[in-house]
Amino acid sequence: MTEVSYGVWDGVVYDNRDGASSLRENTFPTLANVDSFDPHNRIRAFFGDRGFFIFDDGVSLIDALWRQMDEAADQSCGKCTPCRMGTVLVRDALDALRHGRRSPLGLGEIEMLAEQMTATSMCGLGQTCARALLAALRSFREVIEAEIARGAQPEQHGMAYMTAPCIEACPSRINVPRYIDYIRDGKPEHSLGVILQKYPMAATCGRVCVRFCEMACRRKFVDEAVGIKTLKRYVADQQTGPRALTFGRELIAQPLGADMRVAVVGAGPAGVSCAYHLLLHGYHVDILEAMDEPGGMAAIGIPSYRLPKHVLHAETDIITELGGRFLFKRALGHDFSIDDLFARGYRAVFLAIGCQQGIRLGVENEDPEMPGYKSGIGFLLEVHDHVAGLKTVTLSGDVVVVGGGNVAMDCARSALRMGAERVHVVYRRTREDMPADSEEVEAAIAEGVVFHFLTNPVRIVDQDGRITGVEIATMRQTAPDGRGRRNVEAVPGTERIMSCATLIAAIGQQVVKGALTPEDGIKFDRWNCVAVDQTDLATSRPGVFAGGDCASGPSTLIHAMANGLKAARSIDDWIRKGHTCFQPRTRMRQILNDNRMLADDAVEVPVKPQYRVHHPELDPTVRKLMFEEVEQTISPEQAYREAKRCMRCYRTYSVITEHAIPEGA
Amino acid sequence: MIMDTTDTGVTDMVPTPPGPVEPAAELSATINGKVVAGRAGETILECARRHEVYIPTLCELHDIDHAPGTCRVCLVEIKMPHADKTHLVASCTTPMQDGLEINTRTPELREMQRLQVELLLADHDQDCATCIRHGKCDLQDVAQFVGLRQNRFFDPARVAARPVDESSPALIRNMKRCIRCQRCIAICRDGQGVDALIQINSGLDTAVGLRHGLTQKNSACVTCGQCVLVCPTGALGERDETDRALEMMYDPELVTVVQFAPAVRVGFGEEFGLPPGTNVEGQIITALRKLGASIVLDTNWGADLVIMEEGTELLHRIAERKKPTFSSCCPAWINFVERHYPDIMPMLSSTKSPQQCVGTLAKTYLPERMGIDPARIRVISIMPCTAKKDEIVRRQLVHDGVPEVDVVLTTREFARMLQRERIDLKSLPPSTFDNPYMSEYSGAGAIFGTTGGVMEAAIRTMYYVVNGHELEHVEIEQLRGFEGVRTATVELGGAVGTVKIAMCHGLKPTRQIVEEVRSGKSDLDFIEIMACPGGCVDGGGTLRSKKAYLPHALKRRATLFGIDKNRKVRQSHRNEQVQALYRDYLGHPNSEKAHHLLHTYYTDRKIEMTQTVREVWADLKMNGKVY
Repeated sequence: MTEVSYGVWDGVVYDNRDGASSLRENTFPTLANVDSFDPHNRIRAFFGDRGFFIFDDGVSLIDALWRQMDEAADQSCGKCTPCRMGTVLVRDALDALRHGRRSPLGLGEIEMLAEQMTATSMCGLGQTCARALLAALRSFREVIEAEIARGAQPEQHGMAYMTAPCIEACPSRINVPRYIDYIRDGKPEHSLGVILQKYPMAATCGRVCVRFCEMACRRKFVDEAVGIKTLKRYVADQQTGPRALTFGRELIAQPLGADMRVAVVGAGPAGVSCAYHLLLHGYHVDILEAMDEPGGMAAIGIPSYRLPKHVLHAETDIITELGGRFLFKRALGHDFSIDDLFARGYRAVFLAIGCQQGIRLGVENEDPEMPGYKSGIGFLLEVHDHVAGLKTVTLSGDVVVVGGGNVAMDCARSALRMGAERVHVVYRRTREDMPADSEEVEAAIAEGVVFHFLTNPVRIVDQDGRITGVEIATMRQTAPDGRGRRNVEAVPGTERIMSCATLIAAIGQQVVKGALTPEDGIKFDRWNCVAVDQTDLATSRPGVFAGGDCASGPSTLIHAMANGLKAARSIDDWIRKGHTCFQPRTRMRQILNDNRMLADDAVEVPVKPQYRVHHPELDPTVRKLMFEEVEQTISPEQAYREAKRCMRCYRTYSVITEHAIPEGA
Repeated sequence: MIMDTTDTGVTDMVPTPPGPVEPAAELSATINGKVVAGRAGETILECARRHEVYIPTLCELHDIDHAPGTCRVCLVEIKMPHADKTHLVASCTTPMQDGLEINTRTPELREMQRLQVELLLADHDQDCATCIRHGKCDLQDVAQFVGLRQNRFFDPARVAARPVDESSPALIRNMKRCIRCQRCIAICRDGQGVDALIQINSGLDTAVGLRHGLTQKNSACVTCGQCVLVCPTGALGERDETDRALEMMYDPELVTVVQFAPAVRVGFGEEFGLPPGTNVEGQIITALRKLGASIVLDTNWGADLVIMEEGTELLHRIAERKKPTFSSCCPAWINFVERHYPDIMPMLSSTKSPQQCVGTLAKTYLPERMGIDPARIRVISIMPCTAKKDEIVRRQLVHDGVPEVDVVLTTREFARMLQRERIDLKSLPPSTFDNPYMSEYSGAGAIFGTTGGVMEAAIRTMYYVVNGHELEHVEIEQLRGFEGVRTATVELGGAVGTVKIAMCHGLKPTRQIVEEVRSGKSDLDFIEIMACPGGCVDGGGTLRSKKAYLPHALKRRATLFGIDKNRKVRQSHRNEQVQALYRDYLGHPNSEKAHHLLHTYYTDRKIEMTQTVREVWADLKMNGKVY
């Protein structure tokens, strides 16, 4: 366990340099997982927005503080006065000092500028980047003075990392403040460019993302979170039509030889994202897909009133524009095996086959073949075919949807559009517990879906082998358990029959049975998902990686796309170097996360409330009858306004390590 | 005659009379220990201003509702109720709150405001003496207001590489002097709806640029110059041509013909300490003669002539059931059409602007009448407009290398020229025009300088043409509103009957009306467009104000209406010098000769840019960049 030698954190001064404990009235903070950065590379010091910790007395404060300020100066947007000039002046002064040169500024002036930046900057970057410097100057000035007296500082290794709560919350680590900034700057194409660095499906994500970023957005302390998803959709939709950004082979910096082929199994968000990055790395990529169109769950699982097919297809087309190939109607386990892929010369395989088999309710008299019984995913597939004009499906009478996730909401709202008389959603927990997006729930309520919370099915009722209803029971919450989580239990004697013509079980999905066989050599985990190493998504079989729902269980689009990028990096490393590589930025995030460095601190001073813009929407009474897209794109005026709401909660963190940190992405 | 008028639309950025409704004070706070009544929703700065507590500001511009909070000069110290510590905040963006203790004057605060301005100067071109804005600069002012006495951090190397865009004939954009207040972006984006300006680069290189990295000349900019009016420093300005004009006037070989626009005479006196809106027509004539102008003409005369040509053209188009027809006298509007909506070019009147009509006749008709060699003539225009500089170099308006107008001076340059020659306009005796060919004007020509003026002038003449007698009430009050878009239905009588007209000023409302026309939703016959809010009286070439946007609009306008009221002749067709022109030279309006000299055409110059992802990625600045 690495011990703090000295430091300042949240204004509390720690000092244990003499080994004695004369100043031990401040208990040392316990820091988790900071002994070494990468294997055999000791962390000597850590600097952040709230202060700094020195683990090794030999660390040069001047050099470390320069590193922190250099990152801030490099990333400053250059609009507000104190940050744009302060970061540069202080960086240059520290740079002179660390090289033993005469500094243009004295320590007094450096401190004055640091105070100016901290107290008067417009955004989080300027407000926080000099806090460690200020703390060092105030509490350990003699250390700095002694370093100056010694002259040139010893060379130090390390890295700096700038992030924000919204970035850390996003599985794909999209640089959210930056893309919002570019909108404000008047450059929507640059904004889209930021997103395209991480995945190709921006317009899709801008429509259906579950928005972890908005949950982390600090604007909520003022009024409401910034409409990050809305803005993403705006920039993505801006780039359609004749003025669209163009993709092409020229994007590929170093095309690789014809033998550098990778197979991606599954054309869903994870597969498409992985293929995109592999193509950009120069590989030749084939995507093998069981269906006859790309998109996976985004195509069949998300109804067109939320995600029009042409929007999705415009984005999956990017794969073709980059030279990738879709091979449709090729199902793993049916048309080919993993061995076949290697036999055909693919150097690596990415499995992204999703979880496309519905999970049964596990209640009495449940028979998936019974007329009137549908799984959530099976029903959405029918809806897809209906909208595509392949097979007309009509519903009549009452429909009961069981489940509280987004798939359940999609089923309920689609059922209305397919002609159901009334749609009920049965969910065993409370509304607050629903995993579905609250906007989705609200939209369903607006369209007339009836919700039954704390209600659970116990038996399926049929007449002559056809579903006529479902027996349900009322649930109640149990006392919170040790982790504060409340379970539910049935209230005896509350059983009753809810009649319906159709029952849709939308409580979850799993990997399709038979896709992978024991001969494929791929191990499953205890949840029946493909077992992967979380750091690099490697499966039990060398050269085979897996991500998206098939590795994690049913999850989000953004999670799948993040997996695609991670897998692409791993595959690139594995093919070129025979092993996957250490990712310094990932390690940095781990330290922040393990130690809760990114404080979710409230906004301390008054900020003028500016409530967020909302998508123009079709009227619920009209839209519930059709599959046209409900939400529309916002106008440029609205986008400019919304972009101005971002408070840019950037923070800078850096480490000083014993050895150089290996290059990563 | 007027059956109906409606004011539709956008009034942003246009001065409105103060509303009588005073919302009740809703919260109580203190500023420097004194209790003040704050209003919900107002900022600390607004509250302080209402209570006459001065807080130095720089980037903020209340008139256009602009408070980006970037300069960080307007700092105040606040203490929230029950809080144990104070915070420094920018007063322009921080809302009032009940129980707030606000301090604007602590020594620490003043020191920080000083440091802020010192930091602004650390990479700001310090060559003030050569700056177009010297002595009238908000940055110089604020340095004085905060008591700046030292300049420790300035390094000329930081300024040296900043872009200076001199590509445009009209505007110069000098990023060595930019303080990143973003007012220009706001007026271009939110005020005018042109959205040509964007923020480029990051860190110390952050600057204002044109969309897609284009030069000013080749961009979507229409050179309306409203950005110049709001710029607090010399970062934006007109291309200064006072030297060229002076050289022409001093050259004994040349005959310099100077014309000045309807709006110049009512927007010039302020520079010399006269009340805003004073009519200094007579003093301008005296000043021009003192400077050495050979012949002084009035663009108002050209305005009367334009009415003859455009009115006739319009009646023809109405007879041919072609509609609508857009006016064509505003060069920024012409740029807007060619750059943004070339598909409506066939709807533009082909009549040249008054400036070009005067220019072309000053090199043909005038020398013929006066017996001067046309090759010796140089035409100088004094215009309230930056786009006029752009207009004179249009290739349609230059013939065999000879431009119809040689130099355009904005009102600001004209002021500078008088200052350089030490001519004090205020103490000059007024003179009158004496040219017998091209200087008389009617009241109709005079009101060209304000929104609705062209329309009112056109109706006076068209009514006469259609009915053979004059309109009874020439002042058509119903057209004289100030909303962004005004529409009216006019009974012209005779074979023409009822026409639907609209007047539009400011390009944001203009875009709205153009979109309606293009979508087929409009049934208008004639639409007057002036690109600048208020019309030429508030043009991009008018005198700049500090910390205010279009403060004198209504006064200047009232004076123009006053000039009209006091003219003996109030209809363009009754201008005797215009009548003589047709009788002696052109024949009749829209004659072949008139077409040759007074009409023009337009070209598609739409900006169509497509970018590749590769280009965009190369220009991204962010950490965590993958490619």
